[in-house]
Amino acid sequence: MTPPAWWRTDPTEPFVLGPRVMPGRIWTASGCFGYGLSAHDVTAPGGRTPYTGLGAVVTKTVTPTPRGGNPMPRLAELPTGALNSIGLENVGLDAFLADTLPELERRGVPTVVSLAATQPQEFGSMCQRLAAVAAGFDHWHGVELNLSCPNVAEGGHDFGSDPVTVAACVAAARPHLPDRALLAKITPNVARIAPLALAAQEAGVDAVSAINTVVGLEVDLTTGRPVLPRRFGGYSGPGILPIALAKVDELVSSGVTTVGVGGISTGDDALRFFALGVVSVQVGTALMRDPMAAAGIAAELTPAVR
Amino acid sequence: MHHEPQRPAGVCCTGRVTANAAVSTGLIRLDLELEMPAEFLPGQFAMLNPQPGSAAFVFNRPFSIYGIDGQAVSFLYRIVGRGTAAMGELVGEDRVGFMGPLGRPFPVREDDRPALLLGGGVGLPPVAAWLERWGRDGDLACFGARDGGDAPWQLLDARWGVSVDEVAGVPENRTAFHGRVTALGADRVAGVKGPGLVLACGPVPLLKAARDLARDIAWECWLSLEEHMGCGYGVCKGCVVPVRVDGPDDRTWRNATCCDEGPVFAAADIAWERYALPSVPEPGPGTMEAKP
Repeated sequence: MTPPAWWRTDPTEPFVLGPRVMPGRIWTASGCFGYGLSAHDVTAPGGRTPYTGLGAVVTKTVTPTPRGGNPMPRLAELPTGALNSIGLENVGLDAFLADTLPELERRGVPTVVSLAATQPQEFGSMCQRLAAVAAGFDHWHGVELNLSCPNVAEGGHDFGSDPVTVAACVAAARPHLPDRALLAKITPNVARIAPLALAAQEAGVDAVSAINTVVGLEVDLTTGRPVLPRRFGGYSGPGILPIALAKVDELVSSGVTTVGVGGISTGDDALRFFALGVVSVQVGTALMRDPMAAAGIAAELTPAVR
Repeated sequence: MHHEPQRPAGVCCTGRVTANAAVSTGLIRLDLELEMPAEFLPGQFAMLNPQPGSAAFVFNRPFSIYGIDGQAVSFLYRIVGRGTAAMGELVGEDRVGFMGPLGRPFPVREDDRPALLLGGGVGLPPVAAWLERWGRDGDLACFGARDGGDAPWQLLDARWGVSVDEVAGVPENRTAFHGRVTALGADRVAGVKGPGLVLACGPVPLLKAARDLARDIAWECWLSLEEHMGCGYGVCKGCVVPVRVDGPDDRTWRNATCCDEGPVFAAADIAWERYALPSVPEPGPGTMEAKP
């Protein structure tokens, strides 16, 4: 690609986000790169690795206790994206703190930990435990509160779509993270996204990550029934790029510090978000096809490599 | 007790098509020359993208590795969907996205126990690669095809017994067992001094029959599962298989990621009562079935 004249930022240079200096502006999105350890032995021509130039790996979302996730099938490939219904399968906070996070630290992987819970106060207790275990970790840079996963139906409603609840989650987490970045990932499945983001910002996040997946459904024409056992899933990939850009534009225009996510698979896609004023971007579904996708975008947008 | 070998490091690159030709009425062999050398252990697989650099496919497609020699790698596939249809269009010099080797391999040969190898259709590569790497006199290799035309005869030397569901198309100079490949395996293994190893790859009915055969003759059994996958390297959790657990709590099973914790599993580890169950959603009020 030939980068446009207005682009003068080196996305692999550190930048300040709240109380933290983040190592770079190209991140992996939660749920799309596991816990950040699955590709540690992968190399590409020229000795490149999936971690070259990354600003952060946002981990797969961790919940207070382990979750087994949803029944198969969990994925459907569509012409312009993917529909998933994984169900927040994860190892749980105990195993994550005992095994995964220390391994990420040992390997020097810049890490943002994604957390989910079903009650606002749980975010506080999870962050408290995280901060106690990882206080001395150099490569743990922050927390992203997953306030928008549409797959988990506990309680029968999406509690991340209510500004008051969003603020309560952030307020519970913030006091435990005085020297780490705090982000909230919010749902796009609302008419206006800015009120949610402003509630999060006023309650103390350093940035809002937007967007998470868009609710979708695919029908199997051979059976006449939805492909996914839970009918609905989260739609991601290139097809949601314009939706993400519109939501991000609404946020930035409202004065929200924003991390852009949604449909990024090339350097040009990332630049579209930077043009709107985001501080960093996350690469998601593209990593499922290519573990080098985020590192490739970082290289593409780094001036010395152009 | 099986000792899992160290898995070779994965590479992420493209491969140049050097051959892409039918080896039977339904099976196609794809040969690639990779940009960089790779290694593999039998039972491992790679994720392929027939149109790298384009957005045509959101996910790559998983294929068991048939063989790797330096930068030369080969696969067998059958056209079953959009991805394999695109692979069928590949011609010499086209480039294919490659990520591999991936996943848990079959056990390495560690003792003198005989092996019964069972492969069905595109399940041939993992067991054929194991036979090539570690096979010895006394091992029994069986391949199952739909009919005589579907068997890739030139890939199956004298070590292989071949079974066919339909006898049509069996070459005059070859013989085939009329029936399931597991029935052929049971036939050939009778009288063999065991216990030994059963290694199998193929569709679920074949895997279940292999499990039952191994149980009946008290041989250790390892199965390579064919699952739809998203990422292929353990990050998306889209290809889980229920496996038994003996935990301190009441749980008797958990979801294992097929691409990373498998695709090879000990038959005894799979929670069969939960595996490959139909999980189709109930029809909604708007479906045709609900209408009078």
